[in-house]
Amino acid sequence: MPKDDHYVIVGNGPAGNHAADTLRDEDPEANITIISDEKPLYYYKHRVPAYMVGGCEFEALRIRPYRIYREKSIRLRLGQRVERVVPQERCLYLKHMEKIHYTQLILAVGASGRRLPSHADFSEHLHCLAGFDDAKRVREAMMKSTRIVILGGDLVSMGLAREACKAGKEVVFILYSSLFWPVALKAEIQQNVTERLTALGVEVLVDTEPVTDVQPQEGGYRITLPDGSSLSADLVFSCFGFVPNIRFLLGSGINTEKGVLVDHMMRTNQEGIYACGDCAQIYNPEFKDYWLSVGWGNAETQGVLTAMNLLGGKSVIDYQPKEIFDMDGVTIRTSWWKSFT
Amino acid sequence: MKREIYKSQVKDAGTHGMLQIIKEVAFSDDPRDLGYMADNVPCQRACPASTNIPGYIRCITEGRYGRSYELNRIYNILPATLGRICSRPCEAACRHGEHDLGQSVNICHLKRAAADLKPGMHRIKEDLYAPSGKSVGVIGSGPAGIGAAHDLAVFGHNVTLYESMPEAGGMLRYGIPAFRLPRDILDLEIGNVLRLGVDLKVGVMVGHDVMMKDLLKKHDAVITTVGCMAPNSLGVDGESLDGVISGLDFMVRTNLGQPVPIGKRVIVVGDGFTAMDCARSSLRMGAQSVRINILSTEEFMPVDAHEIHEVKVEGARIYSLVTTHRIHGSQGRVEGIEFLRTRLEDTPDGRGRIAVPIENSAFVMEVDTVIAAIGQHPTVDFGQPLVMNGQRIGVQPDRFLTSVDRLYAAGDCVTGASNVISALASGRKVAQEVDERFVGRRRRTQMVRFEAAEQTDREREYDFIRPVAMPTLAVSDRFDVGENEVEKGYREVEAKRESLRCYLCSLKYEIDVSRCIYCSMCIDVAPRDCIKMISGVSENSDGTYGDYGETGNWNEVVAIAIDNKRCIRCGQCYDVCPMDCITITKTELVEVDREE
Repeated sequence: MPKDDHYVIVGNGPAGNHAADTLRDEDPEANITIISDEKPLYYYKHRVPAYMVGGCEFEALRIRPYRIYREKSIRLRLGQRVERVVPQERCLYLKHMEKIHYTQLILAVGASGRRLPSHADFSEHLHCLAGFDDAKRVREAMMKSTRIVILGGDLVSMGLAREACKAGKEVVFILYSSLFWPVALKAEIQQNVTERLTALGVEVLVDTEPVTDVQPQEGGYRITLPDGSSLSADLVFSCFGFVPNIRFLLGSGINTEKGVLVDHMMRTNQEGIYACGDCAQIYNPEFKDYWLSVGWGNAETQGVLTAMNLLGGKSVIDYQPKEIFDMDGVTIRTSWWKSFT
Repeated sequence: MKREIYKSQVKDAGTHGMLQIIKEVAFSDDPRDLGYMADNVPCQRACPASTNIPGYIRCITEGRYGRSYELNRIYNILPATLGRICSRPCEAACRHGEHDLGQSVNICHLKRAAADLKPGMHRIKEDLYAPSGKSVGVIGSGPAGIGAAHDLAVFGHNVTLYESMPEAGGMLRYGIPAFRLPRDILDLEIGNVLRLGVDLKVGVMVGHDVMMKDLLKKHDAVITTVGCMAPNSLGVDGESLDGVISGLDFMVRTNLGQPVPIGKRVIVVGDGFTAMDCARSSLRMGAQSVRINILSTEEFMPVDAHEIHEVKVEGARIYSLVTTHRIHGSQGRVEGIEFLRTRLEDTPDGRGRIAVPIENSAFVMEVDTVIAAIGQHPTVDFGQPLVMNGQRIGVQPDRFLTSVDRLYAAGDCVTGASNVISALASGRKVAQEVDERFVGRRRRTQMVRFEAAEQTDREREYDFIRPVAMPTLAVSDRFDVGENEVEKGYREVEAKRESLRCYLCSLKYEIDVSRCIYCSMCIDVAPRDCIKMISGVSENSDGTYGDYGETGNWNEVVAIAIDNKRCIRCGQCYDVCPMDCITITKTELVEVDREE
């Protein structure tokens, strides 16, 4: 007899895809849908900077072809934004007003670029690079550009600097040591970072944070530094880590703080709704703090665990507080930080 | 009732156009009409002072700022003040903010625009009653006291306002920082109340400088609006250490110009407007790190998103999900706060959240100054025994009379700490009660005013205008002179653009059933399910109309009706109707003289 369970996963990243695969492996009958506001198929995030500068085409980012989803009978609804979730009715509404029912829901919506409050007055002139959409928006201008300025940073900004240099751009990196994400840089690491960037051919400016203004000028932008001097660039990027995409959940009754608040089994406060990956925020009794976990490896692990718990499992998230950092009062657990230091 | 039409309303149509507008106007106090207004003009219903919001926004669209300001003043007395610091219950109710309809109109910013853009020295209108010879003492000149004094003066009574502080204004002057509410604005609007003949006595503490029993002898009635001036304590160890100060004391002393020593690291405990004001004031006084620690999360903070944004932009940080456990110090001085993490649990109705401390989650944050802004309660020390309601003054419901005859109470000292507009509205209501005592009947009443409208006054494209952001001072310019007002106010073009976003819910759309040919064209063009085929309308027990009985079966259809609660006044149906059977009526909830 066919089952009418409908598992809906919001988010097409590593957490969402691993959750979907696990659900399919364990429950061959259920309806499974992945909804994402991004249009492209599941892709490698760390290759996005290369794609943006024109170093590769999208095919090089793609993790698996559409055929796999057809074989697994996982329905993909890409380019469709979830507008709100109504837990009482077990349904969610898409931007185009379509209503979708679920029996269980996994929120794996990830995060987008964190913008600094001190940049608020001119943030419309700054580009972020959290995903494919950000990259696509600016790709054409990027390929035409000769000189870019990066305000950073985080690991993405480092990747961006490397790819831009490789593509022959002139790159100026304004290093925000005290606001580096996920943790402020100590003098020793700052030195290390500066040396690595300089070796790539990047001009690194330290102790010039924060820039006081960014305004358009003919053919590009003018960046004003705290000492009143200025530089010009074709494009200005701002890369300071990530904040979970939880705005659409406000008022839904699902508890959120910096991310979606979940317990040690990835359950939100609403029955039948789970969260995992970059958007989930968990209380860690060993660390006595809430943490957000960031990075591909963490997301994959959490996606699998969430799917198993949704199907009745009782697995508990690994509490070992390794690679944990405190940033802006948010504790962050990353799986990629080690490769950086 | 005389109508007044101005040329600006008819543009080029001249006198002929003006004469054409003059038509019959009807007033009604039928419960169905009052119920209609409550359901259909949600902003006005949400406003404790029942401000005629669509009316004054329309005036802004027409560029009649003076009229818009006066229309506000009829209801809320202090438009320029409220236009800056109101807690905006209207915006939470605005139909434009419903799901799928975008965001609420910036009603409060428009109120301020009316005040900012009105012509210099415009005419203040007050409909004064003849002098009564009665005398009323009002204790406290905060929003409730000002509201009561104003209305009593208009009713013709002699009002004496007793204020313990050096100047009038109460919380408005001593609880709110100047960078949110410039003092010249407050002085001007309070001055407009005082010039009605209100006698202000400052520096008089009732119960200390003058006794309540003497006031009751001197006046025919006394109203106490002393508000909530005693800060709530955290109730934890270490609260009496040096460097721990209550939010209210901090604001009062700052606003009195007294030096308040603060350290480099400041932690504000609390999530309300006072907490935000303390944080922002600390930054202006040179604090290097300011943290606001709150019990639950930003979503459940009682302040609006705009305020949260400003406090973050200025450099304060908000730490959620923590509760104060104890305050550490040595040699009598604060050194740190021990917090517990909290988790959220649902309230019984499922809508709110309670923050519950998590076991074994204690951690310490180092700090030089702790500002505890976790609310306040009334202090009642008049030397006059009163029946209390907990810490608050007990009164007869809706009559404001305390256990002592001729002694009334209103505002926060009755309700507990609320907000400016609620306190002001309650001051206006107690004035009506006292007036009724003197005169023997209610002299003012709320009625619904109907007037035929010729056009929708709206274009469909207005529905898609994005909210106009309030221009603010650059962050770098805020700290040198801490009193510099942060919000700069709309310019004319911005005010007009924002005003066009208002749906004008006060326009009532109706289909004349006798002429309707059931072509259902209006249903076809409707932007949402606002026009319905109905089989009947229910009636509520209080005499108001209930919901429409909808039907999809033509045999049962008695009418095609516009559900004004769903209607966004886009005017599409009005434009498309082949029979011209849709009428528009301008409805307004107004305060009028009750017929004798």
